Amino acid sequence: MKEVETHALRGVNVRIERGEYVAIIGQSGSGKSTLMHIIGCLDTPTKGSVVVEGREISELNDDELAKIRRQKIGFVFQAFNLIGSLTAIENVAMPMRFNGYTKTESIKHAKELLKRVGLEKRMNHKPNELSGGEQQRVAICRALANDPEIILADEPTGNLDSKSGSEIIALLEELHGKMGKTIVMVTHDQSLAKHAKRQIRLKDGQILNE
Amino acid sequence: MLDFALKDLKGHRVRTILTGLGIVIAITAIVSLGSISAGIGEMVTSSTSKVGSDTIFVTKKFDMSQMSGPPTAWQIDDLTEDEVDSLRSLSGAKRVVPVIARNFGGLMEVDAVDMDDLDIFGAADLTFKEGSMPTNDDQGVALGYVAAGVLGASVGDYITLNKKEVEVLGIVEEGYGSYDLVILMPYKYGEDVYDLTGRATQVMIEPQDVSYVEEIKNTITDEFDDLSAMTMEDALAMTKQMTQTLDIMTLGIGFVASLVAAIGIIITMYTSVLERRRQLGIMKAVGALRRTIMKQILEEALIVSVISSLLALGISFFFVDLINNVLLGGTKIAVITPVLAVGAVSYGVILTILSSLYPAWVAVKIDPIEAIRKG
Repeated sequence: MKEVETHALRGVNVRIERGEYVAIIGQSGSGKSTLMHIIGCLDTPTKGSVVVEGREISELNDDELAKIRRQKIGFVFQAFNLIGSLTAIENVAMPMRFNGYTKTESIKHAKELLKRVGLEKRMNHKPNELSGGEQQRVAICRALANDPEIILADEPTGNLDSKSGSEIIALLEELHGKMGKTIVMVTHDQSLAKHAKRQIRLKDGQILNE
Repeated sequence: MLDFALKDLKGHRVRTILTGLGIVIAITAIVSLGSISAGIGEMVTSSTSKVGSDTIFVTKKFDMSQMSGPPTAWQIDDLTEDEVDSLRSLSGAKRVVPVIARNFGGLMEVDAVDMDDLDIFGAADLTFKEGSMPTNDDQGVALGYVAAGVLGASVGDYITLNKKEVEVLGIVEEGYGSYDLVILMPYKYGEDVYDLTGRATQVMIEPQDVSYVEEIKNTITDEFDDLSAMTMEDALAMTKQMTQTLDIMTLGIGFVASLVAAIGIIITMYTSVLERRRQLGIMKAVGALRRTIMKQILEEALIVSVISSLLALGISFFFVDLINNVLLGGTKIAVITPVLAVGAVSYGVILTILSSLYPAWVAVKIDPIEAIRKG
């Protein structure tokens, strides 16, 4: 069967400033995840340019993109995406190991992060032994491991009950308010988007309004 | 990141065991077969080094293809009394020593030789665990260490040779290579035991000088259609040819076993990468470089290969012990030399790493977006 080329995003022009809290809203298929992947250096656009912290990333290879991801961007996914064979503390320490820290250094820092989100007693548990809310808190700690400027959260409460969801939103607000992190949250939930200071609405790969 | 690799291997025990099993089988096959070749080589070298390199061995002509089993199981026809006498009068011969040799029990050999000529036979420096070497006037035998063990005989006991009861007068210490399997007796007594007069299975000729070696060999070849003459060097070359055949066989079996192991490793490692697509994709998403992913897969291969190869080596030592002590009653026909051991373990590691390159490459190419989406 012949492959048909589709454009997930067309004519999108977005500028997100350091320290902003932005929500990207849209229905399924609107292109919001593609936009997040491009902002997160997981993907590069077929046309156009993407600048992260003053660096053009469209022409970078896989490893150069990976270096930017591990140093400047932290990801929080809807499905948590923790590694099942590793404990909570090992999951948090992992990006630091990729960034050149020793096992001891990274475990020490991971411990501090997990303490900060109230998981000090759960740090040696594997993901399948943790609740959804706990897993997402571990994922946030992993996102913070290398102290990145930008936190990208893709439907961070999508798999959580309302209480856990509220806790995660509160945590993201704290990262923005107290730590000055740039938060970009992708969601289809209007009520969740209201927590952000700025909202970008996408439809059919184009910005509908801001 | 070795700890991550170790954790993954522990987390997928069945896959790890299956990967390792192929390596264990291949390396065990190579080491076990290689040990037999190495053992035969060592045995021949240690025995022949005791005999002078200029010594000429004369036997009835025989066809190598008719020989089977260990050399001690071969039985060559005897030279006649006339032939032995003719050899005694060869020009250039300093000493002519007839030896009656008989296969015993498939593994051992009875040798009857003049006890004054033990030096040419290479048995002059044997030390005794029990009793002593018989003299030419004695009517009894000396047993090699293994031969005594197999026969369960001590000094003073009697063993049966050619339906005759023969007294054991001495038992040689352990560690004399093929002499461990020998039953030695004086030539004259050998004639009595085997009802022969003046005959010999083999005649050993010491030349007056090294320059006579070729002359004596040529004379025997020209004058005796029925006899074959060879020096220790010729015998070594023949043995070398034999061990080379065994080496080729080892290589062939090793190659097939390696191929099967390599295919097994590729399949299990590839399946393991596919199973962990999501995990590897997440690792890339949070900043793992391509070489980090490649390194993790190869580290897993390294751990499995080192453990499996060492395990295979252990199993091979067990097999060699089984062959030498249980099947062959103490003959060191199979020997795992340090070169064989180190070579086999290194080969196992290299084979696994090479076989893991393709699965590692597949892991490197995993798209993190796809992994996250499916997560």
